[in-house]
Amino acid sequence: MLLNVNELSLSLKRAGKYSKILDQISFQVEEGETVGIVGESGCGKSMTALSLMRLLPEKALLEGEVNFQGEKISGYSKRKLEKIRGNQVSMIFQDPLTSLNPLHTVGTQIEESLLLHTKMTKKERRKRVLQLLNDVGLPRAEDLIDEYPHQLSGGMRQRIMIAIAMACEPQLLICDEPTTALDVTVQAQILELMNKIKKETQMGIIMITHDMGVVAEVCDRVIVMYAGKIVEEGPVLEIFQNPKHPYTQGLLDSIPKLGQRKEKLGSIPGTVPAPENMVVGCRFADRCSHAMDICRTVHPPMIGIKENHQTACWLYEEGDEKDGSIGSHKLEAALH
Amino acid sequence: MRMDALKFVGKRLLLMIPILIGISILTFAISNTIPGDPARLILGPKATPEGLEALREDMGLNDPLYVQYGRYMGGIFQGDLGQSTYSQKPVSADLIRYSPATFELTLFAMVITVLIGIPLGIISASKKDKIADQITRIFALIGVAMPAFWLGLLLLLLFYLKLGVFPGSGRLDSGMSPPTYITGMYTVDALLTGNWPVFKAAVMHLVLPGITLAAITIGMITRMTRSSMLEVLKSDYIRTAHAKGAPENRVLYGHALRNGVMPVITLLGMAFGHALGGSVLVESVFSWPGLGRYAVNAITYLDFPAVMGVTLLIAILFILVNLIVDTLYFFIDPRLKHN
Amino acid sequence: MALLEVTNLKQHFTSKKGVLAEKTIIKAVDGVSITIEEGQTLGVVGESGCGKSSLGRSILGLVQPTEGSIKFKGEEVTEMSSKQMKELRKDMQVVFQDPYASLNPRNTIRQILEAPLIIHKIGNKKERKERIESLVAKIGIRKEQLNNYPHEFSGGQRQRIGIARALTLNPKLIIADEPVSALDVSVQSQVLNLMVDLQQEMNLSYMFISHDLSVVQHISDKVAVMYLGRVVEIANVDELYSRPLHPYTQALLSAVPIADPLQKRNRIVLQGDLPSPANPPSGCPFHTRCPMAVKECASIVPNLEEKSPEHFAACIRV
Repeated sequence: MLLNVNELSLSLKRAGKYSKILDQISFQVEEGETVGIVGESGCGKSMTALSLMRLLPEKALLEGEVNFQGEKISGYSKRKLEKIRGNQVSMIFQDPLTSLNPLHTVGTQIEESLLLHTKMTKKERRKRVLQLLNDVGLPRAEDLIDEYPHQLSGGMRQRIMIAIAMACEPQLLICDEPTTALDVTVQAQILELMNKIKKETQMGIIMITHDMGVVAEVCDRVIVMYAGKIVEEGPVLEIFQNPKHPYTQGLLDSIPKLGQRKEKLGSIPGTVPAPENMVVGCRFADRCSHAMDICRTVHPPMIGIKENHQTACWLYEEGDEKDGSIGSHKLEAALH
Repeated sequence: MRMDALKFVGKRLLLMIPILIGISILTFAISNTIPGDPARLILGPKATPEGLEALREDMGLNDPLYVQYGRYMGGIFQGDLGQSTYSQKPVSADLIRYSPATFELTLFAMVITVLIGIPLGIISASKKDKIADQITRIFALIGVAMPAFWLGLLLLLLFYLKLGVFPGSGRLDSGMSPPTYITGMYTVDALLTGNWPVFKAAVMHLVLPGITLAAITIGMITRMTRSSMLEVLKSDYIRTAHAKGAPENRVLYGHALRNGVMPVITLLGMAFGHALGGSVLVESVFSWPGLGRYAVNAITYLDFPAVMGVTLLIAILFILVNLIVDTLYFFIDPRLKHN
Repeated sequence: MALLEVTNLKQHFTSKKGVLAEKTIIKAVDGVSITIEEGQTLGVVGESGCGKSSLGRSILGLVQPTEGSIKFKGEEVTEMSSKQMKELRKDMQVVFQDPYASLNPRNTIRQILEAPLIIHKIGNKKERKERIESLVAKIGIRKEQLNNYPHEFSGGQRQRIGIARALTLNPKLIIADEPVSALDVSVQSQVLNLMVDLQQEMNLSYMFISHDLSVVQHISDKVAVMYLGRVVEIANVDELYSRPLHPYTQALLSAVPIADPLQKRNRIVLQGDLPSPANPPSGCPFHTRCPMAVKECASIVPNLEEKSPEHFAACIRV
């Protein structure tokens, strides 16, 4: 197993007091696998990404375990963790313009990873940078090396970010909304590039996004998050065709789908609860049309519906193979 | 790219002309509307009306203002800034005589400002809310808030009168003769001629007025460096640097510093102007024979040509320094070069 | 007669970055003709820099167009006096992308909604109160919340308030510039549904500007696709999405990731980036990225032509 995250919790200090942003997140990533983490703003998906490499604001309280290739890196010192960052685990962020240093050339910024983690000579580094630029589909690499981020287009900048991330051939790549800031035709180019990289390497990829379309296109497995908790997890096909959690169902139902016009979109009433006044019980209960008494008092545990497909919802029982249609025996039981 | 820089500087130099004309008109108008009669000041209380009138006529004070201004500007283009009514010498000669002392003092203050202010700001930002940051912020605030003349008097009291570690007035120990004239700045001249005793004395004399003059600018620069660095440290590319595995110091000095120092450079230009203006007070407190004291005298004796000369000189310096700052920007920030 | 008829509209900006830079002309909108019928929605879709927002802004009269005609209910907007423009405001309203920025944080919702009525001297205090209360009931905000400030609402609620503000004067046309782009999907669908309901109830017309092809498909009757300041294709929504003619529309549609892992498509991945609107290519602006381009495309500026009934495209290859 490449990455094993075990009961990871994160609290951030806001307005003088700590509030829980992530609550006991557990998941795994295998070698060569692309895992999507989806959810709406405030669900904690980006914070999950930053927590793995501890790229957090100063006043952050992190609990739980992060195991990478069998090593418990959550216990690592800062210095030891820096040896892994950008080397074995790389990251790509949402906004490629602000994520690149405006005063350094493209070449310098790609080269830095090599400088930090390899013993390459200057000449070897230059050769590798040129090759990386080629790999991410950027022409005229020789000139590009001396250009600055502001001279490039959004798509080129994101390719540079990918080149930086790929420099040391990492085993795990964490992408935080890598195409959200891009135009749709450019997004298609970047997704194509990511799929190419996926095929060519045995890298594990964590793809954080709010876009179900991106998930469908690149992910093997999906984790759905809501208000700092994982509510459902399963293979991509299973999640799209047989979603179990009412939140996942609602989310999929509210997306207007290209080529399928319908009169009325589904929607989820209300909004995500703020981390400062998090409810006991299921966090989705207030917006859920199937909420029962138990939902408001006890948080549902993660249970396996079938192999690889898990959800945290009181509507289901372990091994429940029933489809998503609500009104299962569980609901009836609650009514009586 | 180099052509761009040249074009840029050339354009800015051209822009200086209207600014300077504006300043000269303004100063000329203001100094001529101040109540008071230079002729009477020169001749004293016992002057006869006829004598006064003759002198006024002689000085051209009876002509309309625009004629006086025209005459003055005509002179300037021939390097003639007029005759100081107080020192009875050409103003240009006076400026040449007094300005090196002021340059020396101001430059010294700016050097301390850069050497102390920027590092303090960086430390303060990197140790945000820790004890080092708190102390720095308090000192920076005091520096900005304390009036220069008062700080000067305090320093004199403590280090000159009480402890006697630094001299309290003038540019050299009494009886010491200045080094061979090269730039007029004693420290530089002494260094160039290898005159060590004079160099030491000149530096010692610079310390107290230099610190007094720099106190405010250090405060300004420290605060600006701190807030700018904090802003930069929050930015996405700093997160990228961390994500690459760059150690803390590399992130701070390799990525954050250059970005964080940019707004500080702009402020340095302003700080220089501030220090030039502040020298008027500080020079009086420390009996420093520079432009500041010359200006104070000129104002006291309604010596218009001298006031005009000093004002124009300071204005030119201020504009030049800001031009240097802008040009620096041009080279530091690649975004300016390509736009 | 169409409610809005825009003919050959041009919106050029001159930009000068810094003292040194050469003056450049940006043709944000370059000869656009569109019509919007009463009770209908025209979707305007395109990528950044295509001029869709500039088009909305010139129709609203926020900027003076460089050339062309805008007729609202048959009257020429570009020649209106400021008094006439004020009257026009009642009929033509706007909803912006960012509900956070477009509501004054220091005013209560009541004040925000009442302001347009006061400006146009509509009704007395009691009538205004009734009007506002019936409006917020429509957008699903409780009467008691009227005295709250914008920051006390969620993003979706704020956007609904923005829509209510646009509706206070009973407009005929609403120009909505990326109204749901800043919202999460579950909230976005709330707002879209609300817009559809209101349209039916109040017989509104929308000009719906968005970069999101799926959202545009959902809400529009007719769709115009823009590229570098020009409309490259315009047709009824079903026609356009099922039979796109212009190669750019085809590429755009194929580029959208679809939330269905089983649906595999032949994707047309365009090479390169969008050219800068300050320096557009000669001839057909799309020819530099077009998979179908031939030599003539670099010199001939294609006109928007009716290729099949009610289906217009600007391309010499179709």
